[in-house]
Amino acid sequence: MKFDWSFFWQSLFTPSPAFLAGFALTIVISIIAMVLAILVGLLVALAARSRWLVLRAGAGIYIWVVRGTPVLVQLVIIYLGLAAAGVFRFEDQYWFGFLIRGAVIAAIVGLTIHESAYISEIIRSGLEAVDRGQSEAAAALSMTPAQAMRWIILPQALRTMVPPFGNEFNSLMKTTSILSIIGVSEMFLVAQSISSVTFKTFEIFIVVALYYLALTTVWTVIQASIERSLNRRIGIPVRSSMGARLWSTLTSVPFRERKATA
Amino acid sequence: MTNLNEHSASSEAAPSSTDPLVRVSHVSRSLGGQKILDDCSFDVRRGEVVVLVGPSGAGKTTLLRTINHLESHDEGEIYVAGDRVGYRQTSRGRVELSARELARQRRHTGFVFQHFNLFPHMTAVQNVWHTPVHILRENKVEAKDRARALIDRVGLGPKADAHPRNLSGGQQQRVAIARALAMRPKLMLFDEPTSALDPEMVGEVLAVMKDLASSHMTMVIVTHEMGFAREVADRVIVMDQGRIIEEGSPDAVFTAPRNERTASFLAQVR
Repeated sequence: MKFDWSFFWQSLFTPSPAFLAGFALTIVISIIAMVLAILVGLLVALAARSRWLVLRAGAGIYIWVVRGTPVLVQLVIIYLGLAAAGVFRFEDQYWFGFLIRGAVIAAIVGLTIHESAYISEIIRSGLEAVDRGQSEAAAALSMTPAQAMRWIILPQALRTMVPPFGNEFNSLMKTTSILSIIGVSEMFLVAQSISSVTFKTFEIFIVVALYYLALTTVWTVIQASIERSLNRRIGIPVRSSMGARLWSTLTSVPFRERKATA
Repeated sequence: MTNLNEHSASSEAAPSSTDPLVRVSHVSRSLGGQKILDDCSFDVRRGEVVVLVGPSGAGKTTLLRTINHLESHDEGEIYVAGDRVGYRQTSRGRVELSARELARQRRHTGFVFQHFNLFPHMTAVQNVWHTPVHILRENKVEAKDRARALIDRVGLGPKADAHPRNLSGGQQQRVAIARALAMRPKLMLFDEPTSALDPEMVGEVLAVMKDLASSHMTMVIVTHEMGFAREVADRVIVMDQGRIIEEGSPDAVFTAPRNERTASFLAQVR
């Protein structure tokens, strides 16, 4: 086996500016698409529960189509298909002094649409998981259905929605790698071009894998702390994080001594 | 304990203080061809405590819930403080009120559920002040003070900042009563408030309700606690198969029931 360790370490610890830019773009696109997908997903979920048939049907069709087609196909249709048909072309934009590539905007739009269908299903099941007695109590306390949703149902549903939201974000970060197909220079595409210049395909993609792994690991830790803080807010006794427990074990006074001093 | 319902006695927009606060008139409701409620009529005067009893499936809970329009009815009319509950009469027949109008109407009525239905994402005292602050738009500081006072009065002062999941059933139900009282209701409806409780916790909830009754709160209570009914009720209504089969003072109903089905029901629960 040929493995260029020096190239590997160099790529891992002192990546090129292009690689870092790709890494940053991966994070930024993921975050923006996730936030937008939650907003759109909430609207779709509420439409799916609406009194009006038109909204319910619209939401149903949206979820059906988006979940039933590959994200790769959706992205190509949105960015390349629409432009080829002369319907809509994503142009480069200057926003807040940054040049935003048309492909990046198309990527965010595409990932938002794709993700929102899944998010709306998570929201829908989260809302349904809240006990019916809660909306009754809210009604008896003279809340309108909208007020009950705002104050009683959504806050409780949120707790059950956070873990699947986190998982969606996790997979979204990995899904960004397919944006290379529409020419978004995120981490994967940058790595591809490095590989085609250096022929160190194995080394550079191991580095890429480690960077994705770092992203998802960091997110897992963040997600766990969000869940802990939500638990605290509804009075569930909080188990401290693994790190904190380890630390307190290492630093605590041994049991016998503590008892003696008490 | 001091007066729990300082506002109910002097209710403002009363048509006349001699009119009944609640008037249920020929109310029926069918579900799948079956009559859940069959021509039920009764009045509740201001300050009166009315207890609904009867075998399970008799329609007591349904009847109670129609008073707050948590359950709709097909025929008949219900009035609370002179307002038609749930519907408006138009030239084309009756029309159900909008969600907003229903919400406004429910401001005068407190409802206590069998399973408490406290909001688990709020502490006990938050459960109590949430509606006054966020829905009724009362002054936040005053509403919070009042909530603490209400929590104190149901005997849960030290538990005010606990979440429902860390309270016993009896404690949760007392918080639920305080929460309903925070809306300054003219009428309190209780749907089997002690049925979901362990036996040793029934007493603490009944004590709060007795205290409420003695401060002249108007109450309609569905319960299986016959001893409590006898002690607190001004009037007992007996239901069976969706119909009101007997109505009278507790003494009359419990010692000398006129209806034989009342007699057999009472014999079973005794």
